[in-house]
Amino acid sequence: MNISLDIWTWISAILTLFIFSFLYGDNPFYKFAEHIFVGVSVGYTIAITWHNFLYPDLIVPVFKQGNLINLIPAFLGVLYFSVFFKNLSWMIRIPIGFLLGYGSGVAIPAIFQANIIRQIQGSLLTPKILERKDLLIGSIISLFGIISTIIYFFFSREQKGVSKILAKCGIVFLMIGFGASFGFTVMARVSLLLGRLQFLLRDWLGLIK
Amino acid sequence: MKILEFLTKIPRRIIFLILAIFVIFPLFYPLNLTTKVSVRTLDLFKAIDNLKGEKPVLISIDFDPQSMPELYPMYISILRHCFSKNIPVIVLGLWITGVGIGEEGLKMIASEYNKEYGKDYIFLGWKPGITAVILGLGRSLKETFPTDYYKNPLESLPLALKVETYKDIPFMVSLSAGSPGYGDWIAYAQTRYGVKIGAGVTAVSAADAYPYLQSGQLTGLLSGLKGASEYEYLVEKYGYSKAFKSATQLMDSQSFAHLIIMILVIIGNIGYFFLRRRK
Amino acid sequence: MQRSLPLGLCFIMGILMILQFFSPHPISQQFFDTIIKWIRIISAFALVLGVRSISLRHIETVKRRKSGYIYSIFTLLALVVTAVLGLVFGIGPKAPIRTIFNNILVPLGATMFSILAFYMASAAYRAFRARTIEATLLLIAAFIVMLGMVPIGNWISPHFPSIAEWLLSVPNMAAKRGILFGVALGVIATSLKIILGIERGWLGGRR
Repeated sequence: MNISLDIWTWISAILTLFIFSFLYGDNPFYKFAEHIFVGVSVGYTIAITWHNFLYPDLIVPVFKQGNLINLIPAFLGVLYFSVFFKNLSWMIRIPIGFLLGYGSGVAIPAIFQANIIRQIQGSLLTPKILERKDLLIGSIISLFGIISTIIYFFFSREQKGVSKILAKCGIVFLMIGFGASFGFTVMARVSLLLGRLQFLLRDWLGLIK
Repeated sequence: MKILEFLTKIPRRIIFLILAIFVIFPLFYPLNLTTKVSVRTLDLFKAIDNLKGEKPVLISIDFDPQSMPELYPMYISILRHCFSKNIPVIVLGLWITGVGIGEEGLKMIASEYNKEYGKDYIFLGWKPGITAVILGLGRSLKETFPTDYYKNPLESLPLALKVETYKDIPFMVSLSAGSPGYGDWIAYAQTRYGVKIGAGVTAVSAADAYPYLQSGQLTGLLSGLKGASEYEYLVEKYGYSKAFKSATQLMDSQSFAHLIIMILVIIGNIGYFFLRRRK
Repeated sequence: MQRSLPLGLCFIMGILMILQFFSPHPISQQFFDTIIKWIRIISAFALVLGVRSISLRHIETVKRRKSGYIYSIFTLLALVVTAVLGLVFGIGPKAPIRTIFNNILVPLGATMFSILAFYMASAAYRAFRARTIEATLLLIAAFIVMLGMVPIGNWISPHFPSIAEWLLSVPNMAAKRGILFGVALGVIATSLKIILGIERGWLGGRR
């Protein structure tokens, strides 16, 4: 046993145990840790925003380099604070409208290309795939799965006949997909727990190598 | 009948205790079971391993402390891989609470390999406006990040002088715990500027990345702690590092946890079906 | 004016950004460079609103002595101390905020999600029943992935990792791609509705 003598490791360990105490039930130690977490997160966000962005990208260009054009977006940004004044609060819509317009405009071609065009290209049975026996069966099953999954989500018309059969096949693919996601979720949550146990047993208590 | 009822009603805290015992035990008595490296991990490893020249790898820290146990070991192994091959590294982050993690790992591994700041590696830090940052890097690195994390002007860093836009970055890795993450890099950096992207993701989102792997939009994928341990194994196997493999240490416990959760689900189902039949 | 100005701005920005994607003309590229710089600046101000709303909530709780107000004092104290230390001493490797980040924020954040492992084990045991064919399929797929992803699966049978990989690459991929198409079309449709002013929820109240 090689217990840590570092005060900060002890603080980390105690805070870790405070959070774990929630497993027994809600209690003041957990609440204390939870509230500290929120406060520190926000404080950290303020510091990083200032040092990583506001100072080098706004203060320096405007006040030290005289790049006054940056005052236009700064003015638009300041309009966010109009929400603090009842009569001017509608002005918050201006920066929101600007950002939403930009976001929607850049998203349409990007999403269309990345998540539709490229995904359709990946689904097609190209001559290259038809030549390769190792890929062919998987590709046919995939294509069938994609079509049946889409048909399952097609609610605009009553599903009967072939479309009903295909929709049922779609459920099979969806259930396998959700099962895989569930399996991975178990893995993820356990990994996070193990990370903390590793810290407690190795870095704090020195019980394992 | 009583046993069957008990099987469906094991108290919550007993389940907690069982899980705790089964995950802690292998940490003290490891079985050292061998893992099979998945083809996805190998693809990512090879993508970095085949890089030559002085062009840097870009790593994006798209996670925060909540996902650190899964993604941090990936970051460390990728850094070891790059530095041992003398590949320069540029790191940035899209998640504000992830920048501390990015800086911590980079400093630690760079000193392990005696790398020089500004010449072998740069830490850019964080900027707001996710898509604007991703798209901005395609136009000009220096315009998007006039200074690095430590407020040094980019012109003063030799490595930054070699990089104008994505065209000077042969490969990038997004270590992603959700959105913003690899999806945004694909949609904005790849479709517009053709960046080659690999991803390390939390296991929760691993299954969702497969459409991008099949379409070739992602070159390689590290899935959760397993992906991290496989990368550690490869980095050691190819002689790039002999450092302690922290993700690998946890894989036996991970195995036991999966087994015990599966057994619990099976027990619950046995109890449920026998009781239903009797009723 | 109060509605038409933001709606008009949103429309113009949306259309210009779409057109810009297809135009390599230098003016178009210059416009793009300016806009992405502006967006970064405007986005930073949005963060202030978030900080304000969290702070106000806790200040209100303390002022009115609501139940658990003592915890709100801790939140505010932690916020102020971290922010002041960060602003005054910087964020470099030896700055005090680094110690706070490594020893308070990291352990708290990482542990917060780690306790979910216990609740998930308990919930899976209680609720995961193979009642129907669909549920059974889900269960089998989950078990295969859970075994295929860990070394013990490889130890039980070296086929498990290969079966899991096939399951993920073929049926799972097909299902996820089907969903992805739906999500992508949804994003595009919503974006179009926002640009064209059909979706106006973001304007808030009626004024």
